[in-house]
Amino acid sequence: MTSKYKSRTDPELVAMCLQGDAQAWEALIMRYRRLVYSVPVRFGFTSADAADVFQAVCLKLIEHLHELKDETKVSSWLITTTTRQCIHVKSLKYRETGADEEFEEPADPGESLEDLRIMTETQQTIREAVDQLSGRCRELIEMLYFDQRSLTYEEISQKMSMPVASVGPTRARCLDKLRTLLRRRGIK
Amino acid sequence: MRHVTIENIINYMDGTLDVEKTTLESHLINCGECSELKQELQVLMVQLQEDSSFEPPAELLQWGLNLFQPVMQPSVGGIRRMIASLIFDTYDQPILAGVRRVGAPPRQLLFRAGDVDVDVKIESMEANDRITLVGQVLSNAAKFFDNTPVKLESHGIVRYRTRTNVVGEFSFDEVPKDTYHLSVDLPEGQITLFCVHRGNS
Repeated sequence: MTSKYKSRTDPELVAMCLQGDAQAWEALIMRYRRLVYSVPVRFGFTSADAADVFQAVCLKLIEHLHELKDETKVSSWLITTTTRQCIHVKSLKYRETGADEEFEEPADPGESLEDLRIMTETQQTIREAVDQLSGRCRELIEMLYFDQRSLTYEEISQKMSMPVASVGPTRARCLDKLRTLLRRRGIK
Repeated sequence: MRHVTIENIINYMDGTLDVEKTTLESHLINCGECSELKQELQVLMVQLQEDSSFEPPAELLQWGLNLFQPVMQPSVGGIRRMIASLIFDTYDQPILAGVRRVGAPPRQLLFRAGDVDVDVKIESMEANDRITLVGQVLSNAAKFFDNTPVKLESHGIVRYRTRTNVVGEFSFDEVPKDTYHLSVDLPEGQITLFCVHRGNS
Protein backbone atom coordinates (compact mmCIF):
# COMPACT_ATOMS: atom_id res chain seq x y z
CA MET A 1 0.00 0.00 0.00
CA THR A 2 1.40 3.38 -0.97
CA SER A 3 1.58 6.41 1.34
CA LYS A 4 -0.90 8.07 -1.01
CA TYR A 5 -3.55 5.82 0.50
CA LYS A 6 -2.30 6.03 4.08
CA SER A 7 -2.80 9.78 4.16
CA ARG A 8 -6.33 9.63 2.78
CA THR A 9 -9.25 10.44 5.04
CA ASP A 10 -11.90 7.84 5.75
CA PRO A 11 -14.54 9.41 3.45
CA GLU A 12 -11.96 9.53 0.64
CA LEU A 13 -11.06 5.87 1.12
CA VAL A 14 -14.73 4.85 1.25
CA ALA A 15 -15.43 6.77 -1.97
CA MET A 16 -12.44 5.10 -3.65
CA CYS A 17 -13.61 1.68 -2.46
CA LEU A 18 -17.01 2.32 -3.97
CA GLN A 19 -15.29 2.99 -7.27
CA GLY A 20 -13.66 -0.43 -7.05
CA ASP A 21 -10.24 0.60 -5.76
CA ALA A 22 -8.86 -2.46 -3.94
CA GLN A 23 -5.92 -0.50 -2.51
CA ALA A 24 -8.32 1.86 -0.77
CA TRP A 25 -10.00 -1.16 0.82
CA GLU A 26 -6.60 -2.42 1.91
CA ALA A 27 -5.83 0.97 3.47
CA LEU A 28 -9.15 0.96 5.32
CA ILE A 29 -8.65 -2.56 6.68
CA MET A 30 -5.03 -1.86 7.62
CA ARG A 31 -6.10 1.33 9.43
CA TYR A 32 -8.78 -0.40 11.49
CA ARG A 33 -7.55 -4.00 11.76
CA ARG A 34 -6.44 -3.67 15.39
CA LEU A 35 -9.56 -1.78 16.42
CA VAL A 36 -11.88 -4.47 15.03
CA TYR A 37 -9.86 -7.36 16.41
CA SER A 38 -9.21 -5.81 19.83
CA VAL A 39 -12.86 -5.37 20.80
CA PRO A 40 -13.74 -9.13 20.86
CA VAL A 41 -10.40 -9.86 22.56
CA ARG A 42 -11.34 -7.38 25.31
CA PHE A 43 -14.70 -9.09 25.57
CA GLY A 44 -12.73 -12.20 26.51
CA PHE A 45 -13.51 -14.10 23.30
CA THR A 46 -11.39 -17.05 22.17
CA SER A 47 -9.25 -16.42 19.10
CA ALA A 48 -11.73 -18.44 16.98
CA ASP A 49 -14.67 -16.30 18.15
CA ALA A 50 -12.63 -13.11 17.77
CA ALA A 51 -11.85 -14.19 14.20
CA ASP A 52 -15.55 -14.79 13.53
CA VAL A 53 -16.36 -11.30 14.80
CA PHE A 54 -13.56 -9.80 12.68
CA GLN A 55 -14.91 -11.54 9.57
CA ALA A 56 -18.50 -10.56 10.29
CA VAL A 57 -17.52 -6.91 10.78
CA CYS A 58 -15.44 -6.88 7.57
CA LEU A 59 -18.46 -8.23 5.74
CA LYS A 60 -20.74 -5.65 7.30
CA LEU A 61 -18.27 -2.94 6.37
CA ILE A 62 -18.24 -3.96 2.73
CA GLU A 63 -22.01 -4.32 2.72
CA HIS A 64 -22.54 -0.88 4.26
CA LEU A 65 -19.81 1.06 2.46
CA HIS A 66 -22.33 3.10 0.50
CA GLU A 67 -23.89 4.30 3.78
CA LEU A 68 -20.50 5.37 5.15
CA LYS A 69 -19.38 7.70 2.39
CA ASP A 70 -20.36 10.76 4.43
CA GLU A 71 -18.99 9.49 7.75
CA THR A 72 -16.04 11.57 8.93
CA LYS A 73 -14.77 8.74 11.09
CA VAL A 74 -15.44 5.15 10.16
CA SER A 75 -13.99 4.24 13.58
CA SER A 76 -17.16 5.18 15.49
CA TRP A 77 -19.29 3.04 13.17
CA LEU A 78 -16.81 0.18 13.47
CA ILE A 79 -16.67 0.33 17.27
CA THR A 80 -20.48 0.29 17.51
CA THR A 81 -20.82 -2.50 14.93
CA THR A 82 -18.07 -4.62 16.49
CA THR A 83 -19.45 -4.18 20.01
CA ARG A 84 -22.95 -5.13 18.84
CA GLN A 85 -21.55 -8.16 17.04
CA CYS A 86 -19.73 -9.24 20.22
CA ILE A 87 -22.87 -8.89 22.32
CA HIS A 88 -24.83 -10.77 19.67
CA VAL A 89 -22.33 -13.66 19.54
CA LYS A 90 -22.20 -13.79 23.31
CA SER A 91 -25.98 -13.95 23.70
CA LEU A 92 -26.25 -16.58 20.94
CA LYS A 93 -23.68 -18.75 22.64
CA TYR A 94 -25.42 -18.38 25.96
CA ARG A 95 -28.77 -19.30 24.48
CA GLU A 96 -27.43 -22.19 22.43
CA THR A 97 -25.61 -23.82 25.29
CA GLY A 98 -28.35 -22.97 27.77
CA ALA A 99 -25.68 -22.48 30.38
CA ASP A 100 -26.97 -22.06 33.89
CA GLU A 101 -24.82 -19.08 34.66
CA GLU A 102 -26.22 -15.69 33.78
CA PHE A 103 -25.19 -14.05 30.54
CA GLU A 104 -22.27 -11.90 31.55
CA GLU A 105 -23.62 -8.39 31.40
CA PRO A 106 -21.30 -5.81 32.92
CA ALA A 107 -22.63 -4.34 36.17
CA ASP A 108 -23.34 -1.11 34.36
CA PRO A 109 -23.38 -2.03 30.66
CA GLY A 110 -23.79 1.57 29.50
CA GLU A 111 -20.79 2.77 31.43
CA SER A 112 -18.55 -0.18 30.62
CA LEU A 113 -19.33 -0.12 26.92
CA GLU A 114 -18.76 3.63 26.91
CA ASP A 115 -15.39 3.10 28.62
CA LEU A 116 -14.55 0.49 26.01
CA ARG A 117 -15.56 2.86 23.21
CA ILE A 118 -13.46 5.72 24.58
CA MET A 119 -10.44 3.51 25.16
CA THR A 120 -10.69 1.90 21.72
CA GLU A 121 -11.11 5.26 20.02
CA THR A 122 -8.16 6.82 21.91
CA GLN A 123 -5.89 3.89 21.10
CA GLN A 124 -6.93 4.04 17.47
CA THR A 125 -6.09 7.77 17.37
CA ILE A 126 -2.69 7.13 18.98
CA ARG A 127 -1.91 4.32 16.54
CA GLU A 128 -2.92 6.53 13.62
CA ALA A 129 -0.70 9.34 14.92
CA VAL A 130 2.21 6.88 15.32
CA ASP A 131 1.62 5.78 11.71
CA GLN A 132 1.93 9.42 10.68
CA LEU A 133 5.40 9.77 12.21
CA SER A 134 8.41 9.60 9.94
CA GLY A 135 9.81 6.09 9.34
CA ARG A 136 12.56 6.20 11.95
CA CYS A 137 10.43 7.76 14.67
CA ARG A 138 7.60 5.34 14.01
CA GLU A 139 10.00 2.41 14.17
CA LEU A 140 11.46 3.59 17.46
CA ILE A 141 8.10 4.25 19.15
CA GLU A 142 6.79 0.87 17.99
CA MET A 143 9.88 -0.89 19.35
CA LEU A 144 9.71 0.95 22.65
CA TYR A 145 6.00 0.66 23.36
CA PHE A 146 4.26 -1.85 21.10
CA ASP A 147 6.82 -4.61 20.78
CA GLN A 148 5.89 -7.55 23.01
CA ARG A 149 9.57 -8.52 23.41
CA SER A 150 10.40 -5.53 25.69
CA LEU A 151 13.57 -4.63 23.81
CA THR A 152 16.46 -2.99 25.68
CA TYR A 153 18.14 0.23 24.48
CA GLU A 154 21.10 -1.91 23.34
CA GLU A 155 18.89 -4.14 21.21
CA ILE A 156 17.06 -1.13 19.78
CA SER A 157 20.34 0.60 18.98
CA GLN A 158 21.48 -2.49 17.06
CA LYS A 159 18.23 -2.88 15.18
CA MET A 160 18.14 0.80 14.26
CA SER A 161 21.89 1.12 13.68
CA MET A 162 22.22 4.07 16.04
CA PRO A 163 24.47 4.59 19.08
CA VAL A 164 22.90 3.57 22.39
CA ALA A 165 23.41 7.13 23.66
CA SER A 166 21.19 8.45 20.84
CA VAL A 167 18.17 6.29 21.71
CA GLY A 168 17.08 8.49 24.65
CA PRO A 169 17.31 11.87 22.87
CA THR A 170 15.68 10.42 19.73
CA ARG A 171 12.86 9.03 21.85
CA ALA A 172 12.31 12.47 23.40
CA ARG A 173 12.14 14.10 19.96
CA CYS A 174 9.78 11.43 18.64
CA LEU A 175 7.48 11.62 21.66
CA ASP A 176 7.36 15.39 21.22
CA LYS A 177 6.37 14.97 17.57
CA LEU A 178 3.74 12.45 18.58
CA ARG A 179 2.42 14.80 21.25
CA THR A 180 2.09 17.57 18.66
CA LEU A 181 0.25 15.26 16.25
CA LEU A 182 -2.13 14.15 18.99
CA ARG A 183 -2.79 17.76 20.02
CA ARG A 184 -3.88 18.45 16.46
CA ARG A 185 -6.29 15.55 16.77
CA GLY A 186 -7.68 16.95 20.00
CA ILE A 187 -5.93 14.53 22.38
CA LYS A 188 -3.87 15.98 25.20
CA MET B 1 13.81 31.41 33.02
CA ARG B 2 15.17 28.48 31.05
CA HIS B 3 12.63 25.75 30.55
CA VAL B 4 13.34 22.07 31.14
CA THR B 5 14.05 20.03 28.02
CA ILE B 6 11.64 17.31 26.99
CA GLU B 7 14.44 14.78 27.26
CA ASN B 8 15.09 15.74 30.88
CA ILE B 9 11.39 15.57 31.75
CA ILE B 10 11.17 12.09 30.22
CA ASN B 11 14.33 10.95 31.98
CA TYR B 12 12.96 12.40 35.24
CA MET B 13 9.75 10.38 34.81
CA ASP B 14 11.83 7.28 33.99
CA GLY B 15 14.06 7.84 37.01
CA THR B 16 17.15 8.07 34.78
CA LEU B 17 17.77 11.80 35.08
CA ASP B 18 21.50 12.54 35.23
CA VAL B 19 21.25 16.26 36.04
CA GLU B 20 20.24 17.89 39.32
CA LYS B 21 16.88 16.38 40.22
CA THR B 22 15.94 18.98 42.87
CA THR B 23 16.60 21.87 40.46
CA LEU B 24 14.26 20.29 37.93
CA GLU B 25 11.62 19.61 40.57
CA SER B 26 11.66 23.18 41.85
CA HIS B 27 11.44 24.44 38.26
CA LEU B 28 8.40 22.25 37.64
CA ILE B 29 6.73 23.68 40.75
CA ASN B 30 7.30 27.25 39.60
CA CYS B 31 6.80 26.85 35.86
CA GLY B 32 3.23 26.15 34.78
CA GLU B 33 4.30 25.59 31.17
CA CYS B 34 6.83 22.87 32.01
CA SER B 35 4.50 21.33 34.56
CA GLU B 36 1.75 21.08 31.91
CA LEU B 37 4.24 19.58 29.45
CA LYS B 38 5.26 16.97 32.02
CA GLN B 39 1.62 16.12 32.67
CA GLU B 40 0.95 15.77 28.97
CA LEU B 41 3.99 13.54 28.40
CA GLN B 42 3.07 11.44 31.38
CA VAL B 43 -0.44 10.78 30.00
CA LEU B 44 1.00 10.00 26.57
CA MET B 45 3.56 7.55 27.93
CA VAL B 46 0.94 5.79 30.06
CA GLN B 47 -1.34 5.52 27.03
CA LEU B 48 1.49 4.10 24.95
CA GLN B 49 2.50 1.66 27.68
CA GLU B 50 -1.07 0.54 28.29
CA ASP B 51 -1.89 0.10 24.64
CA SER B 52 -3.94 -3.05 24.56
CA SER B 53 -4.81 -3.19 20.92
CA PHE B 54 -4.34 -6.58 19.41
CA GLU B 55 -2.99 -7.46 16.01
CA PRO B 56 -5.21 -9.90 14.11
CA PRO B 57 -3.48 -13.09 12.90
CA ALA B 58 -1.88 -12.65 9.46
CA GLU B 59 -4.20 -15.13 7.71
CA LEU B 60 -7.28 -13.44 9.16
CA LEU B 61 -6.04 -10.05 8.02
CA GLN B 62 -5.38 -11.48 4.55
CA TRP B 63 -8.92 -12.83 4.51
CA GLY B 64 -10.19 -9.31 5.21
CA LEU B 65 -8.01 -7.83 2.47
CA ASN B 66 -9.01 -10.50 -0.05
CA LEU B 67 -12.67 -9.95 0.65
CA PHE B 68 -12.71 -7.01 -1.68
CA GLN B 69 -10.89 -8.62 -4.58
CA PRO B 70 -13.38 -11.10 -5.95
CA VAL B 71 -16.37 -8.80 -5.66
CA MET B 72 -15.15 -5.37 -6.58
CA GLN B 73 -12.67 -5.91 -9.37
CA PRO B 74 -13.60 -4.08 -12.54
CA SER B 75 -15.61 -6.11 -14.98
CA VAL B 76 -13.65 -8.33 -17.32
CA GLY B 77 -14.71 -9.23 -20.84
CA GLY B 78 -17.86 -7.19 -20.64
CA ILE B 79 -19.39 -9.20 -17.80
CA ARG B 80 -21.15 -6.94 -15.37
CA ARG B 81 -20.64 -7.82 -11.72
CA MET B 82 -23.25 -6.84 -9.22
CA ILE B 83 -22.91 -6.94 -5.48
CA ALA B 84 -26.03 -8.18 -3.82
CA SER B 85 -27.30 -6.44 -0.71
CA LEU B 86 -28.04 -8.59 2.29
CA ILE B 87 -31.74 -8.07 3.00
CA PHE B 88 -32.31 -10.59 5.74
CA ASP B 89 -30.13 -12.81 7.86
CA THR B 90 -31.42 -15.04 10.64
CA TYR B 91 -28.00 -14.71 12.25
CA ASP B 92 -28.88 -11.11 13.02
CA GLN B 93 -32.24 -12.08 14.51
CA PRO B 94 -32.52 -12.82 18.21
CA ILE B 95 -33.56 -16.33 19.19
CA LEU B 96 -36.97 -16.31 20.86
CA ALA B 97 -36.72 -16.17 24.60
CA GLY B 98 -36.95 -19.60 26.14
CA VAL B 99 -36.19 -21.44 22.89
CA ARG B 100 -33.45 -23.98 23.29
CA ARG B 101 -32.26 -26.53 20.80
CA VAL B 102 -29.50 -28.99 20.21
CA GLY B 103 -27.05 -27.84 17.54
CA ALA B 104 -27.04 -24.67 15.52
CA PRO B 105 -30.19 -23.66 13.67
CA PRO B 106 -29.94 -23.32 9.87
CA ARG B 107 -28.98 -19.85 8.77
CA GLN B 108 -31.32 -18.20 6.28
CA LEU B 109 -30.21 -15.28 4.15
CA LEU B 110 -31.88 -13.22 1.48
CA PHE B 111 -29.82 -11.21 -0.98
CA ARG B 112 -31.03 -8.73 -3.54
CA ALA B 113 -29.31 -7.36 -6.62
CA GLY B 114 -31.48 -5.25 -8.89
CA ASP B 115 -34.69 -7.19 -9.42
CA VAL B 116 -33.14 -10.54 -8.58
CA ASP B 117 -33.50 -12.17 -5.18
CA VAL B 118 -31.32 -15.02 -4.00
CA ASP B 119 -32.54 -17.00 -1.05
CA VAL B 120 -29.84 -19.03 0.70
CA LYS B 121 -30.03 -21.50 3.56
CA ILE B 122 -26.90 -22.77 5.26
CA GLU B 123 -27.14 -25.82 7.42
CA SER B 124 -24.27 -26.87 9.57
CA MET B 125 -23.38 -30.50 10.23
CA GLU B 126 -21.43 -30.50 13.43
CA ALA B 127 -20.66 -34.23 13.15
CA ASN B 128 -18.44 -33.90 10.07
CA ASP B 129 -17.69 -30.16 10.16
CA ARG B 130 -19.43 -29.54 6.86
CA ILE B 131 -22.19 -27.30 5.62
CA THR B 132 -24.98 -27.79 3.13
CA LEU B 133 -25.94 -24.72 1.22
CA VAL B 134 -29.23 -24.63 -0.67
CA GLY B 135 -30.81 -21.70 -2.43
CA GLN B 136 -33.12 -20.34 -5.05
CA VAL B 137 -32.67 -17.55 -7.58
CA LEU B 138 -35.85 -15.60 -8.13
CA SER B 139 -36.79 -12.48 -10.00
CA ASN B 140 -39.45 -9.92 -9.20
CA ALA B 141 -41.03 -10.79 -12.53
CA ALA B 142 -41.80 -14.23 -11.12
CA LYS B 143 -39.45 -15.70 -13.66
CA PHE B 144 -37.33 -18.71 -12.78
CA PHE B 145 -33.66 -18.74 -13.67
CA ASP B 146 -33.20 -22.33 -14.76
CA ASN B 147 -29.93 -23.93 -15.82
CA THR B 148 -28.04 -20.92 -14.45
CA PRO B 149 -24.42 -21.50 -13.37
CA VAL B 150 -23.80 -21.05 -9.65
CA LYS B 151 -20.28 -21.08 -8.21
CA LEU B 152 -18.89 -21.33 -4.74
CA GLU B 153 -15.52 -19.60 -4.40
CA SER B 154 -13.16 -19.53 -1.48
CA HIS B 155 -9.77 -17.83 -1.21
CA GLY B 156 -10.18 -16.55 -4.77
CA ILE B 157 -10.62 -20.02 -6.31
CA VAL B 158 -13.82 -21.60 -7.63
CA ARG B 159 -14.28 -24.66 -5.42
CA TYR B 160 -17.68 -25.96 -6.49
CA ARG B 161 -19.98 -25.45 -9.45
CA THR B 162 -23.57 -26.35 -10.04
CA ARG B 163 -26.59 -25.19 -12.05
CA THR B 164 -30.07 -24.21 -11.02
CA ASN B 165 -32.96 -26.56 -11.72
CA VAL B 166 -36.17 -25.61 -13.52
CA VAL B 167 -37.43 -23.58 -10.58
CA GLY B 168 -34.12 -21.82 -9.99
CA GLU B 169 -33.03 -23.96 -7.06
CA PHE B 170 -29.44 -25.01 -6.44
CA SER B 171 -27.62 -26.95 -3.78
CA PHE B 172 -24.10 -27.60 -2.54
CA ASP B 173 -24.17 -30.63 -0.31
CA GLU B 174 -21.82 -31.17 2.58
CA VAL B 175 -18.99 -28.87 1.54
CA PRO B 176 -16.24 -28.23 4.10
CA LYS B 177 -16.88 -25.27 6.40
CA ASP B 178 -15.13 -22.24 5.01
CA THR B 179 -15.74 -18.68 3.92
CA TYR B 180 -17.33 -18.63 0.51
CA HIS B 181 -18.41 -16.18 -2.11
CA LEU B 182 -21.43 -17.41 -3.99
CA SER B 183 -21.72 -16.20 -7.56
CA VAL B 184 -24.71 -16.52 -9.84
CA ASP B 185 -24.06 -16.01 -13.56
CA LEU B 186 -27.14 -14.38 -15.01
CA PRO B 187 -27.48 -13.15 -18.58
CA GLU B 188 -27.47 -9.55 -17.31
CA GLY B 189 -24.40 -9.96 -15.15
CA GLN B 190 -22.83 -11.91 -12.37
CA ILE B 191 -24.18 -11.56 -8.86
CA THR B 192 -21.76 -12.08 -6.03
CA LEU B 193 -22.99 -12.82 -2.54
CA PHE B 194 -21.10 -12.97 0.68
CA CYS B 195 -21.61 -16.22 2.47
CA VAL B 196 -19.51 -16.80 5.44
CA HIS B 197 -19.44 -19.40 8.10
CA ARG B 198 -20.09 -17.25 11.15
CA GLY B 199 -19.68 -19.65 14.01
CA ASN B 200 -23.21 -21.00 14.07
CA SER B 201 -24.00 -21.31 10.39
